Amino acid sequence: MNYLLAGVLGIFFGFSLNKAGLTKYHKIINVFRFTDLAVLKFMMTALVVSMSGLYILRGLGLITFPNIPATYIVGNLVGGLIFGIGMALAGY
Amino acid sequence: MKFIMNYIRREEWSPYIAGILLGIVGVLAVWVSDSLLGASGAFQNFAGYVVRALTPPEVFAKNVYFNFIMRPEITWGVVLLIGIMIGGFLGALSSQTFRFRAQDDEQWKKVFGSQLWKRWGLLFVGAIILEYGAGIAGGCTSGLAISGGMLLAPAAFLFIGGMFMSGILTALIIYRKNY
Repeated sequence: MNYLLAGVLGIFFGFSLNKAGLTKYHKIINVFRFTDLAVLKFMMTALVVSMSGLYILRGLGLITFPNIPATYIVGNLVGGLIFGIGMALAGY
Repeated sequence: MKFIMNYIRREEWSPYIAGILLGIVGVLAVWVSDSLLGASGAFQNFAGYVVRALTPPEVFAKNVYFNFIMRPEITWGVVLLIGIMIGGFLGALSSQTFRFRAQDDEQWKKVFGSQLWKRWGLLFVGAIILEYGAGIAGGCTSGLAISGGMLLAPAAFLFIGGMFMSGILTALIIYRKNY
C-alpha cells in the first residue's frame, strides 16, 4: 500500500519537474549564470508550501515529523560543494 | 475547466505553479506514508545490487557503505524514483514534446559545439561527481535541500549554500567568455 502511494507521489513529482523545465540542461545551468532563475523559484516555492503545510499539520496534531536529515557541518557543506560541480557539468 | 486542461498541456508552467504542486507532494509524502522525498538514495540502493552482483560475497560483506548505509533493497524511494520517471514521461506526453534525442540541448550546441562525445562524456563525469557529493552530504536537491529544508533542517541550508557556491564557480569556469 505504501509502495503504491510512493508510485503515485512519484508520478506527480516527476510531472512537476517536467513542467517546471528542470529536465532541461539550459534551465539548470542558467540558474548558475543568473540568466534564468526558474529552478530557484521552483525550489523555493516548493519549500515554502511544504514547510507551511507541514508545520500547520503538526500544529493541528495530525502528523509527527520523520527523522530530520542529520547535520554534519563539514559533510553537508563538502557534499554540497562536490554536488554543485557535478550539477553544473551535467546540467541535470 | 477547459482553461485548466489547456494549462496542463502547456510545455512549461510557471515555476511557482509547479513548485506548489511539488510542495503539496512533499507534504503528502510525510502525511500519508511518513517518508521524505528523495531521488539520489534510490540510485545507490540500485547500485548496491550491481556491486553485490559483481563482487565476491566475502568482499561484499566487508563493504560498510552498501551493508549498513545504503542496502541493496527495494525501498520506498526506489518506487518513488520509478514514479518520477513515469511522471516525467507523462509530462512530456501531455505537452507532446516526447522524443528521443542524442544531443538534447540547443544552448549546449551553441556554446560547446555539436560533438556528441563531449556532451555525453561531461554528462557521465558530472553525474558521477554529483552522485558522489550526494552520498557524502546525505541527499540531493530533492532528498536534502527540499525535504530537509521543509523540516527546517540546518543540513539542508548548508547543502544549498555549498551547491550554489561551487555550481556558480563551475559554470563560470566552463562558460568563460560566454558566462
